[in-house]
This record gives sequence, C-alpha cells and structure tokens, in this order.
Amino acid sequence: MSDFSGMDDLLQDFLTEASDLLADVDNKLVELEKRPNDKALLNDIFRGFHTIKGGAGFLNVDPMVSLCHRTENLFDKLRNNEIELTLELMDVILAATGVVRDMFAALSMARMPTAADPAILAALDDVLQGKSPAAHSSDEETKVEAVPVQAPAQATSQAQPISADEGPDWQQLYEALTEKTPAPVSPVLEVAPMKIETVVDAPQPPAKPVLADPMQALKPVPAAPAPVASAKSQASTGQQLAAQETTIRIDTARLDQVLNLSGEIGLTKNRLTTLRTDILSGKMDPNTLKALDEAIGQLDLLVSDLQNAVMKTRMQPIGRLFQKYPRLARDLARQLGKDVELVISGEETELDKTMLEDLNDPLVHLVRNAVDHGVETIEERIAAGKPPKAVVELTATQVGDHILIEITDDGKGMRPDVIRRKAVEKGLIDLEAANSLDDKQSLQLIFMPGFSTKDQISSISGRGVGMDVVRTNIQKLNGRIDIQSVSGEGSRFTISLPLTLAILPVLVVKVMDQPFAVPLAMVREIIPVRSDSIQEVSGRATIVVRDEILSVRSLAGLLGWPEDHLPSFGVLMQTAEHSFILAVDSFVGRDDVVIKPLQNIRPKGVAGATLSGDGSIVLVLDMEDLLASTNADSSAIKTGRFLTEKIA
Amino acid sequence: MSDQNMRFLVVDDFSTMRRIVRNLLKELGFSNVDEAEDGQVALHKLKNSQFDFVVTDWNMPNMTGIELLKAIRADAQLKHLPVMMVTAEAKKENIIEAATAGASSYIVKPFTAATLDEKLKKVFATMGK
Repeated sequence: MSDFSGMDDLLQDFLTEASDLLADVDNKLVELEKRPNDKALLNDIFRGFHTIKGGAGFLNVDPMVSLCHRTENLFDKLRNNEIELTLELMDVILAATGVVRDMFAALSMARMPTAADPAILAALDDVLQGKSPAAHSSDEETKVEAVPVQAPAQATSQAQPISADEGPDWQQLYEALTEKTPAPVSPVLEVAPMKIETVVDAPQPPAKPVLADPMQALKPVPAAPAPVASAKSQASTGQQLAAQETTIRIDTARLDQVLNLSGEIGLTKNRLTTLRTDILSGKMDPNTLKALDEAIGQLDLLVSDLQNAVMKTRMQPIGRLFQKYPRLARDLARQLGKDVELVISGEETELDKTMLEDLNDPLVHLVRNAVDHGVETIEERIAAGKPPKAVVELTATQVGDHILIEITDDGKGMRPDVIRRKAVEKGLIDLEAANSLDDKQSLQLIFMPGFSTKDQISSISGRGVGMDVVRTNIQKLNGRIDIQSVSGEGSRFTISLPLTLAILPVLVVKVMDQPFAVPLAMVREIIPVRSDSIQEVSGRATIVVRDEILSVRSLAGLLGWPEDHLPSFGVLMQTAEHSFILAVDSFVGRDDVVIKPLQNIRPKGVAGATLSGDGSIVLVLDMEDLLASTNADSSAIKTGRFLTEKIA
Repeated sequence: MSDQNMRFLVVDDFSTMRRIVRNLLKELGFSNVDEAEDGQVALHKLKNSQFDFVVTDWNMPNMTGIELLKAIRADAQLKHLPVMMVTAEAKKENIIEAATAGASSYIVKPFTAATLDEKLKKVFATMGK
C-alpha cells in the first residue's frame, strides 16, 4: 500500500531531516513574532521552506511542493520588504506549517498527502498578490476540492516561470552572456520529475505541455483525509507508532568509539584464548594466573566501556523534542488570549531515543497545562501585580545517572486546600482521608484518575484524564514526577528519568532459593520481618514503619506459590498507586541488568529475564503487572491469614 | 574526460538532497563522490584535496552556492573546475546570475538521472575541447 515503494530509504531520510527543519522553522516563526524585521530569521525560514520544497520535489510530493513554494515566495517577499508581516499573515503562515506537518504524518505512513486546504493556498496567493489574506469561505473550498489539480497547477506555473515561449529568449541571453556553448536549455527536461509509476497516473493536460510535467505527478486523492486528520488528533494512538522514526543519526565519532572498543575486546579475547591453551596444558604458574586475572580485568573494563559507547549511539539531544513546544505554547496562548513565553534551556541534554519518543505526550500535556491552567490571563496578572507576559520555563539537566526535566510557570500556583476539596467533591477520597493529607500530599491528588481542577471541561487541556496518564507514562519509563507549587507564585513539575531503559538497576531477592529481580527505582528500603512486628488490620497483615501503616504482600503469595514459612525480609516498595511491603525470604543485592524480553510467552508479572553473575536465569518482575494480575484483596488476606496463624 | 573515476564534490546543506544527487551520480557510474554541507566546507575541501567536478546547491547557510562559485572562479588553483549549480530556482535572473558568475551548467530540481547525464555530457564536451 506504499505510495513510495522503492524509495522508502530516501523517504525516511527526508522525513527525519525535513521534520527537524520544519520544527526549526516553527521556532523561528515564534521568534519572528518578537522580531518581525530580523533579516537573518527571515532568511532562515525562507531557506527552510525552500529546502523542504526541494526534497519534496524529488519525492514527487506535489501537494507539499505547491504549498512550500508559496510560503517560500512569501518569505522571499518578506525579506525583500515587499510585504509586511501582519498578525493575520502570521496565522496563515503558521497554519501552512501545520499543514506541512500533517503532510509529513501522511508520508511517514508512506501515503501521498492530500492537497493542502485550498483556503490556505488561496490566502497565501492573496498575500503574494499584495492583498490581505481574506478569509476564504468553505464554499470556495469545496469548489476547488472538486478539481484538485487546479491549485497545484497554478503553483506550477509560478514555480516554473520559464515557459516554452520564454525558453529561446533565455538561450540567446545565455549565449550572449557566456559566449560559449550553453548548457541545454530545455525547460521541459529540467522540470521533469523523477518518474514514479504509481504516482504518475493523472492524464496529461494538453493545454500547457511545458508546465504539465510536475502536475502529472499530482495524484488526485479524492476523499482520503483520514490518515492526516487522525495522526493530528490522536497523538498517542497506533497511528503514531507508524510515524515513529526508525532511523537514527549518529555522530561518526561515537560509531568509531564502538568500533575501537570492539577491536580491543577482540584483542583481549585472543589473549584469553592463548591463556586458556596454557592453562589446559597444565601451565598454571603464578605468572599465567596473574595474566589471566589482568586479561579478565581488562575485559571487564572494555565491556562496560562498550556498553556505554553503544548506549551513547542511542542518545539524542532532548532539544529535538523541546523545539516543538514554543510553537505549541504560542498557539495555545493566543487562543486563550494570554501572553506566554516558553523559555527553553538544556536542549543539548541527551536521552535514550525510545524514551525521547515516549516523553513527547507527557511533555505536550504539561506544557499545555502550564499555559492553560498554570498562568493567568493578562488582566489577572496585571491585577496581581505581575508582568503581563507569563513565563513558562522548560529545562533539562543531567544529574548523575538521571535526567531532570522541569516545567516551571510563574502563574497562580495551586492551593492544597482547593485541591483537597475538589478531590472530596469528586468522590476520589473521603473527607477523613483528605484531612489527613499534608500540603505536599494534597498536590499529589491531581495525579488521581478523574481529577481536574477546572469545573468547566476545557477543550484545551483535556478532560481530567490528563495528569494521571502523564504520571503513568513517566512511570513506564522508570521515571517519577513531582510537583511543587506556591499559591500566587507558580508551579513546578519535575520529571526524573533514568538515562536509558536498556540497563535497569534492580534489587535481586530470593523466594525459596529462586532469585527474582525487582526494579530498584521502586525500592525505598529493606526491613526485617519479625512475627511480632506484624499487625492484623481488618484481615490484612500490616507493618507499621515510622507511623505509616503498610500492607504486607508476600512475593510467594503474589506468584501463587505455597506460603509455608514466614518471610524474613520486607522490601518497602513504592509503586504509582501506593506503598507496600514485599515479603521475601532473602535478598542477594543490587545489580545492573540488561533485560531480555521473553519470546512467545508472557507470564503475568514478568517483564523479562536476565542472567545473574553465576549464569543462572533471573526473572525480572513487573510489579505493577504482578499486583494488577493478582486479586489484590485475596492475596493480602491470604497472607494475613497465614501470618496471623503463625503468630497464634 | 568523462572518466568514471572522476571525483565529485556534492554541496548541499540538506543531507537527503546530497544523498539523492550521490545516488543519481552512482546510477550514471560515478561513485567517487564526497559531500560538503555548505560553501565554506566545500571550499575548504576543494583547497585541500583534488576534485574534478563540483555539484552545488544554491541556497545554503554560511556560504551560498553562488558565493562558492565566485570563490572557485577567483581562485587560481580552482578556477578551471567545472561547477554545476543545482537549484529549485528556475527564475531568469538566477540563471543569468549563475551564468555570469561562470557556472558550467545549471540544473533545476527535481531532475532525473537522464537529465543529469545529459547536462554532464554537455559539460564534458566543453571541457574536452
């Protein structure tokens, strides 16, 4: 079903590169609003559209060529002061970049994008002809849509001003100027696009043979706006999976490092092979053993270096994600009548590529949230004695082996008492529970499913399904999210993420001599389990740790194993929903493991397997899944009964 | 002159475009191709290494294709190097500017291997004289 069979590689390259370029253009457009006469900016934006057009031309994506051609011309006129940048014009331009992005989405699914909304094309044409971008009615839209070839045809005629009539003129001119044999001057050939059979199926209009070629390639796609529309509206569905990049750009220096290290590992392996021969033939003098020790030590270092180097090839600057947001914030602020500036820093901070992709939805939500709910309107800000322009800061920093991402706004902040009241009103918690929460805990309530501090459901920041989804997504990345907020001064969301998902720090615990690994990120502490410390609270076994009553779940019970003895240790675990004590027989210690997914089987509660130092297989537990898959109450009660029996 | 070992320098700030041109050249049997992402890098490469043919984009940051062309023509060592301008601009004034600056050939994007071949042959013919 690909419209680009045989060109997939090229298409991928184009999408990767052109999407970056477009994001850059978007940011420059937001900049341009502040400095409308900045020549360098105008030039850069012009070149951005120009380059996208050029690439799209080779791929025969005529709807994109036709649109980018107009925007390019527009910026040509802007930089030459032939037209002036107005707010209306800015909206048209921004709408156009939105359409280009939608076209990228279609392309990423290997589909030829539909022609741009004729209203946008018409508005651009108006500006190019020196008129103001009048609103084009939907009547016109449907009229032109019926004849989709028409709009690009106009573009083509503008794009290729050398018509057949002008050709000979130019040739004479060329000869006169250069006084040598001119290069072939056949514009027909020059504009001939690369031939793609699946695309070239429109009949050739006979009227303008010279200009017809690019038009030929335009495949009228009558009623297929679905992929574009859905890719736009449902960012987190399967549609987007298709849009995820499958290629990656890597600094060659990093690849060289991988190559170097693997070479050195090869050398060390040779050394070991020689030593093995020596040892097997009975040569076991202290020197040989010392050499063996050294070689293994060397290998140890090299392998960990190689792991790091390979990991680095997957690292991408977070700026690639961040650069999409200024435009997002700007559009939203405009829509809401607010004045908001998104200030970005730490773009160079690097993060694993897969995490980067999964981080987009949560960050989009938080940025929107900050603009929509966080900051006040201009009037409110003036009344509160604040500068009318609100500032939302988005920063990324690496702290040790973690990445910290912060979204800070200088808006009205959150009031813990209001949040508590709302949570009670919505029936998420009871009054007693609400009163026992301190301010910090109260803020956490916004992460509860169904919580939304706005009485009115806003079309912008969602329907109260947002923050809990944000937290779930962050936790899927083994990360955590915290809130700080001062009423009247603003809020700060802090996301903490591990550098990579490839290597997971775990705690290895044992149940009946079988080792299991649990993610270290969830482990708060390890406590001894003594029978006299267990208390029964409404049929459940609990242990009080520093005034906090925590239920005890035995890992054996969760796994469905017989519970015939008292576990010796309790691992205090913190999951998304609650804290509890995981009771185990013993523990081995912490380890950094590489998780191998299990093929074909998917036991509940198991994220994958890994090898321990002695070569035995260790199952890595997915605690959320394990808890969800076990009937929580019965397991706890069972544990309780067993434990209470023991006490008795 | 149309030696298959000719060394090409493809200059474009858009790596996809460099790859396209490189592929087209390969299709025509020219596989000795190096790339540069703008005029400055190109000029540096040209001065430090031997090239037989330059294919350059027009619109680039730092140093545009036309500036590169002028720099090449102004350099005693490089001035005889054939330079093909690749661009989306089919405007008359652009073509005149390129011709005035001494472009050996001018090709409008998008183009096919056949078009490129034809243009190259024309240049080779002039060079062979």
